[in-house]
Amino acid sequence: MTSDGSVIEQWLHSCVRCSNCKYVFREYFPSCPSGEYFGFETYYASGRIWLAQALYKGELEWEPSLLDPIFACTTCGNCEVQCLAPHREHIVDMIEELRARAVQEIGGLPSHIRFRENVVQFHNPYGAEHHNRNLVETHSLPLQAETVYFVGCTSNYRETQIRDATISVLKKAGVDFTVVDEYCCGSPLIRTGQLGPVNEAAQHNVDAIRDAGAKRVVTSCSGCYRTLVRDYPKLGIDLGVEAVHITQLLKELIDKGTIVPRPNEPRPIITWHDPCHLGRHMGIYDEPRAVISKLPVDLVEMETTRENAWCCGAGGGAKAAYKDWSVETSKKRIEQALRTGAELIVTVCPFCTRNLRDGSSEDGPPVIDLTELVDRFI
Amino acid sequence: MVSLKEKFGRIVGADRVSDGAAERYVYSRDMTENPPHEPQLVVMPSTAEEVQQIVRLANEERVPLVPFATGQSVGGLTIPQVDDAVIVDLKRMNKILNVDEEGMYIVVEPGVTFGHVRKYLDENHPSLRYTYPISSPFTSVIANALLQGLCDLSTRYGAMAEFINGLEAVLPTGEIVRVGSAILGDDNWFGRFPLPDLVGLFTGWQGMTGIVTKMALQLWPKKPFTRHFALFTFGEFMTTDLLKQIARGDLAEDAGALSFSVVKALIGMPAPIEAIEGEPDYGTFLTLSGITSLELDEKVRVLERIVDRSKAEEPKNLLIPFEAVARLMSEEAYGWVDFPSDSFKQLTEYDGLTWMGTYIHPKNWGEALFKGRRIVEKYGYELMAFLKPMKGMHFCEFKFIIRFPRDDENLKKVRQCNNELLDLALDLKAIPYKTPVWSARKLHERADPNFIELVRRIRNLLDPNGIMNPGRWGL
Ligand SMILES: Cc1cc2nc3c(=O)[nH]c(=O)nc-3n(C[C@H](O)[C@H](O)[C@H](O)COP(=O)(O)OP(=O)(O)OC[C@H]3O[C@@H](n4cnc5c(N)ncnc54)[C@H](O)[C@@H]3O)c2cc1C
Repeated sequence: MTSDGSVIEQWLHSCVRCSNCKYVFREYFPSCPSGEYFGFETYYASGRIWLAQALYKGELEWEPSLLDPIFACTTCGNCEVQCLAPHREHIVDMIEELRARAVQEIGGLPSHIRFRENVVQFHNPYGAEHHNRNLVETHSLPLQAETVYFVGCTSNYRETQIRDATISVLKKAGVDFTVVDEYCCGSPLIRTGQLGPVNEAAQHNVDAIRDAGAKRVVTSCSGCYRTLVRDYPKLGIDLGVEAVHITQLLKELIDKGTIVPRPNEPRPIITWHDPCHLGRHMGIYDEPRAVISKLPVDLVEMETTRENAWCCGAGGGAKAAYKDWSVETSKKRIEQALRTGAELIVTVCPFCTRNLRDGSSEDGPPVIDLTELVDRFI
Repeated sequence: MVSLKEKFGRIVGADRVSDGAAERYVYSRDMTENPPHEPQLVVMPSTAEEVQQIVRLANEERVPLVPFATGQSVGGLTIPQVDDAVIVDLKRMNKILNVDEEGMYIVVEPGVTFGHVRKYLDENHPSLRYTYPISSPFTSVIANALLQGLCDLSTRYGAMAEFINGLEAVLPTGEIVRVGSAILGDDNWFGRFPLPDLVGLFTGWQGMTGIVTKMALQLWPKKPFTRHFALFTFGEFMTTDLLKQIARGDLAEDAGALSFSVVKALIGMPAPIEAIEGEPDYGTFLTLSGITSLELDEKVRVLERIVDRSKAEEPKNLLIPFEAVARLMSEEAYGWVDFPSDSFKQLTEYDGLTWMGTYIHPKNWGEALFKGRRIVEKYGYELMAFLKPMKGMHFCEFKFIIRFPRDDENLKKVRQCNNELLDLALDLKAIPYKTPVWSARKLHERADPNFIELVRRIRNLLDPNGIMNPGRWGL
């Protein structure tokens, strides 16, 4: 990065727009949900990089018609995997910086602005009444504990089955944990270039975790995990404790024999969707598979997996701002899942769960979270 | 009043046409030093009928059209040359329509790329192969053939236009025509002869004579026995002489020679790469094949003999089997010869990439390379020459690639360098390929004026309203 921290400036002279970001290298499956749907060169990573560079250099004036190419991207990071150029590891960072600049210069998209207002007012992007702390009472959790379960807004206010399954698993495993008065981790704001309120919310979370006397944070949300581990340090926020994803903890608990999955017949065929925030953004591919391998299920992988996995379509603010495209993207993933013959589609991200369900037909295989699957068998 | 955008939108769908600032910017330029020029709109058709309606509307409205496949011609060939142009982005026409095993051809739409052809053939017709460039895998097979490019069978069979069996195009006046044997109907794309060879109305014209919507291209049987070699050589004249002997012996189906700097880039040396005294000047990747192992072995023996003989003049010339290259460099090396596009990442170092490329008479090849090298050295750019013996040594290709940051200083310097290289090439009667406008203009100054006039007349005849890519090729 350069002195003013601009990753766009750092890569101002990189990207010939060679199209490698558009397809999975050597496999030639499409890799970019946005480009695949919208089609114009501007909707692929390379087009966005050229826009970012042009705006930075002043070759292009800010105007509202730029907003769609800038924001219609799930920031899934598949482009980073396929790109062969020197800037490849920084594409998502460039896009996020471009978004932050867009918000500053011409304002963001209305649906994203609503997130921000909700986070400021209600501490979650959905504008739901902030009730996180009630969980302590409901589940008779201690006020202080070794582990803080960072629930995340989507699990707490939308996909509550993930929250409940996680709490159930943690209890069954005898983990000393509690839930704190958490605010939105900031992920939806960071992804949509609205950095303003992030540090305050983040600092609140740091304080709450510290006050709980915790030694580690575990989260069942891939987006929160990415944010706590990767974004907080970049924003100068020190979480103060280790943060782990639930898949890492589950693997540890199974490896130690703390939780022992029961046998079950017949073993359902499942397929696994790698969430972008967990896989490509954080490099966690093996832990969920290790957990699944210990469950009484048979895993059949889809045609694009791990770093090449097709995105569910929800991330980067896409679900809120571009519903049709977001669901179309999810439908493509569902088609891949159906080709495996799976009876269950399993993932470990509340956004993915929601969007994959939105892309499924009613009689298709259910989409569930890995914590739910584990909870069923222990 | 209905706007032009709405009119195009009625043809392709409102979400397939854009006049946004982002699209106008990105489609106004490419990776080269050629000056940008904004279009007014970008449209994305998905069928030949939509293309036809676009062309008809363009005639009614007198709107210039610029066909666009992936915009990677390295010649600024998709940059509009006049105001208010409409880019016709063909990437949604991406179907592989047919592979005829017996007739050994593939029929594709213009959005089909090399990567997709390769995968499709490997999965569905493993006994057949197409031929591949060193560009990214995601450039258009049709555009490449129309531009008379070169791929990894060109040493044997020539420029890519030679691979065309026939095509379907929307003429600048809106009629859909076919040329080649498929004038008798589908499933009959076996060739171009004996007919007036009208494929030539479309190849080399850079999208000025219509929009090609379908093309049949020759496939070749994969030979069961193949071996790859790397040949390291010294000096421009000795290298080209040796390549001429190898190509005339019909030993190799591909012989792609690169400045040694490119070889160093391939093995991961960081930019900028400098030539070191005493190292070879060129590395050539050779592909030899045979129907029997005996045939292949014999070809290898002849090749070894030719290289051995060359050692009388240059004892350091070195021929090594590719297995040794892979052991020395990495297994990735097999990718460079198996699918040359895989080796292209070294050219993505900056945001700028350009070349001055030509086809040239064999007698002038060595001199062009020798003098061209001095020009590139003078400008301080890395030595990145690519050369290929073409069509059994009937002609040759050479180009000097320059990868560069697209800042003002380099843009100016690169223009000067390419200008000097072009002057040298034209002095040696080389024909520049994928010719940018500035380069075509220089060619016009030296070429037979009757030829240029004929080109103009044909163009005017086909395109009375001058809507197809006006200004292209300096016309
Ligand atoms: C790094 C690099 C390496 C390369 N190496 C090679 C190589 O080894 N060999 C080689 O031959 N080329 C090479 N190329 C050039 C180029 O990528 C190919 O020739 C390519 O297939 C054409 O580029 P494109 O598909 O992007 O076409 P575009 O640039 O989009 O179009 C090229 C021209 O064709 C016209 N056109 C496109 N489609 C149609 C159509 N359907 N009907 C009418 N006109 C049309 C356009 O208007 C334009 O004038 C290389 C390029 C790069 C960037």
